[in-house]
Amino acid sequence: PAGGASLRLCSTRVAQEGINKPVIDRIIRVDHAGEYGANRIYAGQMAVLGRSSVGPIIQQMWNQEKDHLKKFNELMVAYRVRPTVLLPFWNVAGFVLGAGSALLGKKGAMACTVAVEESISEHYNNQIRTLIEEDPEKYKELLQVIKQFRDDEQEHHDIGLEHDAEATPAYSVLKTAIQLGCKAAIFLSERI
Amino acid sequence: VRCQRYPPLRALQASAALRRVSDEHKKEPLTSSSQQHFDSPPAGHQPEQEPQGPRPSYTGQGGQESEDYESEEQLQHRILTAALEFVPEHGWTAEAIAEGAKTLGLSVAAAGMFHSDGSELILHFVSECNSKLSELLQKEQKLVQLGEVEKKPVDEFLRDAVEARLRMLIPYIEKWPQALSILLLPRNIPSSLNLLTSMIDDIWHYAGDQSTDFNWYTRRAVLTGIYNTTELVMMQDTSPDFEDTWRFLENRVADAMTMGNTASQVQSTGEAVVQGLMGAAVTVSN
Repeated sequence: PAGGASLRLCSTRVAQEGINKPVIDRIIRVDHAGEYGANRIYAGQMAVLGRSSVGPIIQQMWNQEKDHLKKFNELMVAYRVRPTVLLPFWNVAGFVLGAGSALLGKKGAMACTVAVEESISEHYNNQIRTLIEEDPEKYKELLQVIKQFRDDEQEHHDIGLEHDAEATPAYSVLKTAIQLGCKAAIFLSERI
Repeated sequence: VRCQRYPPLRALQASAALRRVSDEHKKEPLTSSSQQHFDSPPAGHQPEQEPQGPRPSYTGQGGQESEDYESEEQLQHRILTAALEFVPEHGWTAEAIAEGAKTLGLSVAAAGMFHSDGSELILHFVSECNSKLSELLQKEQKLVQLGEVEKKPVDEFLRDAVEARLRMLIPYIEKWPQALSILLLPRNIPSSLNLLTSMIDDIWHYAGDQSTDFNWYTRRAVLTGIYNTTELVMMQDTSPDFEDTWRFLENRVADAMTMGNTASQVQSTGEAVVQGLMGAAVTVSN
């Protein structure tokens, strides 16, 4: 808050006193960006493969991501966190990644899903560790949310593997490239 | 804790001043003029009549400081708050801070704690104004939640909030342009920018902004523009009670609302176009 001299009381749903604002800010901002990006990736995949045999599965995973995004929108307002300024960029980049991977075929789309969901699961695990180190009691609700979402993303990862993601041509190259992109996105969204 | 130490000092000064006056009263014959003399010392003169006694005893209270400890930050806060009343006369300067320190019974050398250009005094003032604004908006929000007051439409809310905040400048308006230029010094920009952005964020928060997309930035950028331009207009305004400024503010807020509507119209048109293109691409790919 301004000047640091006075303690600002907020009458929003979440009390602002006593929480480690910089850490929580980052966590919510990057997670919000991540779910937003994931939404756009599935949207891109649906645009290309919506009417194929994997359409329903992608749609189902997309619906879960929509719920995740909705939850983070709520948390963002409750904790008064600033969204990342790169959102318009993730909007386009996510869609291009989804559509691009889908143009490589159904296996390509699944490979993209596996790569992204693996990155996100690892990222959520890191956050869970951070919050537990901070104060598991204080951040109980947030921890619950992140744990649940991590489990969902892990499920998506497994669905991707079930649908022959690994059979994609140049699978390991594709996976490494996408995961590198995810790492960069996470790094930037935490800060900007 | 902070407030407790101040009244005893005043009481000491008051009793010392009154003691001296009553002594003089005894020396002079009982005439109507001496009656007036007895009545004359008002509260404001006490610091000037202050004998050397109370000052050392104040610093002597340093021994008691272990009981109700005051941090350096709290002390600086008190000095700067006291200095504000001298700003209209001395400007945002070390002189004002020195005068403020004097009223607290400290030596004028206390002003040496701060920069000579008055930066801290200005930043302190801005921070205090922002806190006051926050409290005001919070109180208003409570009233709305209790159902005692109608929720204002967004443009009216923004207008009232900016006006309330700018009105806090009125007692210092003569010297405010000087303050603005000091706030723009490279050394002060991180702090002043921080104060500005958190104030604008506060106003939008209490206005009910719940955006989680790029609108978050657009809205704050627009309001910052409105606030800054209105502040500059206020510096030049000579109309009674700054009515020209408030009219300017009203127009700018109205412009922003219109811009918002136009922007969302453009966006929905854009979205429709994109949908059409996507449909065409899918058709072609099939």
